[in-house]
Amino acid sequence: MINRRDFLKLAACLGASLPIAGLPSMVSAALKTVDPKSVPKLIYLQAQSCTGCSVSLLQAEAPGAVAMITQYSKLAYHQDLSAASGKQVLDLLDAYISGKAGDYFLAVEGSIPLGMPEACVIGKKPIADYLSAAAETMSGAVAIGTCSSYGGIPAAEGNLTGAASLNDFYKTINKKPLLISIPGCPVHPDWVWKTIVHLVKIGLPELKDTRPAAFFSRKVHELCPRYHDFQQEIFAEKLGDKGCLFKLGCLGPDTCADCPTRWWNSGQTWCIDANAPCIGCASPMFAAKKDFPFYRNAEASISGTPGEKS
Amino acid sequence: MEIDIGPVTRLEGHLNINTTVENNIITDAKSMGEMFRGFEVFLLGRDPLDAQQITQRICGVCPYAHAIASSYAQEAAYQLRTPPNGRILHNLIQGANHLYDYLLHFYQLSALDFIDVTAITGYTGKDQDLTQLRDWVNHALGSGESHPAAPFLPRLSGTYVTDTDINITALKHYVESLEIQKKANRASAIFGGKFPHATGIFPGGCTRPPDIDAISSYQALIRDVKHFIHNKYLPDLLAVAGAFPEYWNIGQSKGGFMSYGLLPFGPEPDSPRLLSPGVLLDGKIEPVKLDAITEDVQFAKYSSPSGLKVAQGRLTPAPHKKGAYSWVKAPRYDGHMLEVGPAARILVDYLQGGNKTVKQLVDRFAGIADIRPEQLNSVLGRHLCRAVSAVVIADFLLDQAEQINPSAPFIPEIKIPEAGEGFGLTEASRGALLHYIRIKNHKIDHYECVVPTTWNCSPRDDNGTPGALESALIGTWVENPGQQIEANRIVRSFDPCLACAVH
Repeated sequence: MINRRDFLKLAACLGASLPIAGLPSMVSAALKTVDPKSVPKLIYLQAQSCTGCSVSLLQAEAPGAVAMITQYSKLAYHQDLSAASGKQVLDLLDAYISGKAGDYFLAVEGSIPLGMPEACVIGKKPIADYLSAAAETMSGAVAIGTCSSYGGIPAAEGNLTGAASLNDFYKTINKKPLLISIPGCPVHPDWVWKTIVHLVKIGLPELKDTRPAAFFSRKVHELCPRYHDFQQEIFAEKLGDKGCLFKLGCLGPDTCADCPTRWWNSGQTWCIDANAPCIGCASPMFAAKKDFPFYRNAEASISGTPGEKS
Repeated sequence: MEIDIGPVTRLEGHLNINTTVENNIITDAKSMGEMFRGFEVFLLGRDPLDAQQITQRICGVCPYAHAIASSYAQEAAYQLRTPPNGRILHNLIQGANHLYDYLLHFYQLSALDFIDVTAITGYTGKDQDLTQLRDWVNHALGSGESHPAAPFLPRLSGTYVTDTDINITALKHYVESLEIQKKANRASAIFGGKFPHATGIFPGGCTRPPDIDAISSYQALIRDVKHFIHNKYLPDLLAVAGAFPEYWNIGQSKGGFMSYGLLPFGPEPDSPRLLSPGVLLDGKIEPVKLDAITEDVQFAKYSSPSGLKVAQGRLTPAPHKKGAYSWVKAPRYDGHMLEVGPAARILVDYLQGGNKTVKQLVDRFAGIADIRPEQLNSVLGRHLCRAVSAVVIADFLLDQAEQINPSAPFIPEIKIPEAGEGFGLTEASRGALLHYIRIKNHKIDHYECVVPTTWNCSPRDDNGTPGALESALIGTWVENPGQQIEANRIVRSFDPCLACAVH
């Protein structure tokens, strides 16, 4: 949980000009032009990741990715976009993580191999070394995507590397940094970028557990445009059918995310719009168990599943 | 003198290259994949239909290629009859993903190696994207902050394009290409459900019916992408090639080439493809023999046996194994080291006279650049072959969309057999991609992926022969051994994906 002291610390690092108490002043802050001096600097590190979340972040629509990394944040480092390479990168990371280069937020995509540090190395050092050192200097951390938020697919049953979430990593080394988790496999670009806009313009958003409540408060099922089909018992019986996808194994009833109202890829579509059952990719138990396949002709899936409780 | 040039940025994942440089020549190079997850182990015992979902998470840049390869493998294992629409939808999804990936690779991943980003500081025009970028860069440079104008600066020392028009145009297209990439991804998401990581792709088809609403949206989006490819991507690429002609002779790999062929014309497993498959060894094309593929691990961090064929593959991680320097295995073909990817794909097709448009384009661009087709094995050759692929794929997709029968089936009924096995072969944007599935008791009994960057960024094999990228680096002259922009350009011409390579 984020307490008031953390909140104040966070607000302070975003620039003294930002008001932090009382709704009216928050609203006035939201209307201000963003001051380039106060936008957060991001150090974006990839742990055991597939880069899918980074790719998803580039699909942002409004604001687009270029505006996000120039007007609302400063992307001090990203593996996929930085012109710097090799030793320049190691020097840059050292400058920030040692605290010499000023305030920064850490963004982490991918799980952390707790059981096998050699399974993720940058410049001869395990990723874990960077993350533990950063705990002393960063303003806060954002776990990007399901792997970083919950362990995700690398932590699925059969996990060889001890892959775990960023939160679990910090627990094992007894650190309690300010941490926001934004799950999704991949993460939706809005979930990350709008959280950053909120940080810049207003301050820390309301959190549910460690997730931004604005995006993860309700089940996919509750928001689903096919909820009517569910009530009327109009079910898809086989792949490709329209109707409620519940009988094919849809995990909408177990997964908190606003996909049904937000949609994906500039609002083009989303899984259930394409008749594809939700596979629970933003859920803490995404893909976790071998004996709980994505596609099940099961009536019983709504209870006793490894999904989230309301 | 040993110098690590990693972490090499602007590629997918965790790659270091340990180089030895003497008298400004790279005399040795070791390609080191530095991140491991273990997909082939956590797929064991799962429901086979989980595979095309799980394997997409190998790579978030080319997830659809994995979904398609897995679907092909499952179709073979289930002896599934794929409806014509199902195959077309697979093609529409996978082809659009190629188009996006080529643009991402040229503009976001590679262009900053050639284009002078500082040219923006003197921009005098009125384009809104560019004036905003100029003001932002100038403000950052004057602010006294740490690492100003990141992520676009700092950069490696070296020679960049000096022509202002080329620089400014490419920077404008750097920004614009992001919008075009989104259109390509919207097109594939229509049938895939979302990008990255589509939920709508299944063996034999997709869940979204190809009605006229969906088809017309798809075509409109791909037409915009095609326009950008012809009017911006190709001219920008040729301008860079014109400024750096020496890179037609830099970065040759020293082995053979292989392509599994891309985008089948029909639903049958042996249907001809838009780009034809084959192995190119000693100047001769031969059919791909899957039995010839083995994976060596003497220099890879696994204690499982070396030299195993695909269906017998094993995976036991050994992070402290003596002498091993990479998490990437070393696949070989009858013992030969091969390059895969755009140059392999185009050379293999061109030399057997497969696709007529490929032949025309290669001959035309070879004429413009005054090169021989063999020089496609080079830094610029790989870039050009992506553009050639993009041109033929975009036309193919628009034509395929016309072949859809909206009232015909688009996904078959899937029954998972008690036992079965199958290979799935396709071309990811980065090259030859193989999935193998074996099923027992209705569950996955064995799963293997041999992925493009596994070939290209492989360490030495058990005979000590370097991998394709290693061989392309050895012998290269570098002006500044500490930074090696020349080596960086070679590495990025392969568009490595390390999450794929190790998986």
